[in-house]
Amino acid sequence: MTSESVDDYFSISDILTTQERLPCKVELPIYRLGYLDSSSTSDDLQPGTKLDLSFWMARALCSRKRHIVSVEMPRPYREGYREILTADANVVDLHKLGPYYYSYGSQLLKFELPETADVAKSLIKCFQTRIRKIMDSSQNAYNEDTTKLTAKLDETEKCLFKAGQMGLNDFQRWETRQTEKLTTSEMVRSHRKRKRALMDDS
Amino acid sequence: MDPAEVEFLAEKEEISVVPNFTQDKIYLIGGDVGPFNAGLPVKVPLWMAINLKQGQKCRIIPPDWMDTERLQDKKQEETDSKFFTEMPSPHFMEITQLLLKCATDDIPHADEIRTLVKDIWDLRIAKLRSSIDTFLKSDATHAKLNYLTLMELNTARPFLTKALDQMHLLRSNLSGRIQSTQE
Repeated sequence: MTSESVDDYFSISDILTTQERLPCKVELPIYRLGYLDSSSTSDDLQPGTKLDLSFWMARALCSRKRHIVSVEMPRPYREGYREILTADANVVDLHKLGPYYYSYGSQLLKFELPETADVAKSLIKCFQTRIRKIMDSSQNAYNEDTTKLTAKLDETEKCLFKAGQMGLNDFQRWETRQTEKLTTSEMVRSHRKRKRALMDDS
Repeated sequence: MDPAEVEFLAEKEEISVVPNFTQDKIYLIGGDVGPFNAGLPVKVPLWMAINLKQGQKCRIIPPDWMDTERLQDKKQEETDSKFFTEMPSPHFMEITQLLLKCATDDIPHADEIRTLVKDIWDLRIAKLRSSIDTFLKSDATHAKLNYLTLMELNTARPFLTKALDQMHLLRSNLSGRIQSTQE
């Protein structure tokens, strides 16, 4: 997985980001889609109904030209959570707030809600605060179980952690002179096994 | 870049050896080497020195910075300075590593040298990390670091470039917001 949220049509992380749910309010009656709101019995979605839509859906229904639904900031990006992040971003479990916290946050800015500028600022501040910890932990954990270290990171940060680990591991492998040993390629090794399995079958 | 590639570049550095054989000049693509006279010091590329040493055809004269006192001073200087100090060789880490692997008997106090070089390396890496941190936290667009060696850059590169990439994305949210919503 390379860098995230580069609006690539086929990017898996981008797809996963944009399917995140978003609280919306219906502004115009939507006919024959009443079943989307399980609490109502009518055939149509009435204006004023609140429901959760996927980001990509909300994006199509709420723009300057079309205003079929109105969008609210999801809770992890609202004032309360932003204050927690300002207090100490290092201890927050970002993965719990949203596995794609940064890229989803960036996407949300497109709705031009009144809080947009604050959210954008809080995202970058949060990233700047957390980067030191990620850098230090990724560059010092050699031959260790890293699940505990990465548990609280969002996907973008995990990607960074992996990059840091790569730098460390490559260097350590060089320092312990493992790079100069020739090893069988993983593919070749498993290939032989598969062949033997085939022979056993026949 | 792979550390092995950095090592390959370091192997082009020249080093003095005392050969125990006599041979005319060798003409190589990378330059001429020799002539070799038994017992007379001659400058050869590091890779050749290692090769000759492994065939027990020469004695390696360690570079003059590879000395406990010099390194001790260097370490002190590195500790005292807030910035990076100039290293005796741009490939000090690789050269130490290679020489200590194959020519321990030619280097006096090899173990001490290994520890000292490692100490200097650790000091510098810690410094590099904290300067990366300050750089990322400030809103600066560029930073200047003198006397960093290739190997040091190489360990920080994957992380740093990715982090800056992400920073750029988040920062363009701040400024590029108006543009992107005009579709």
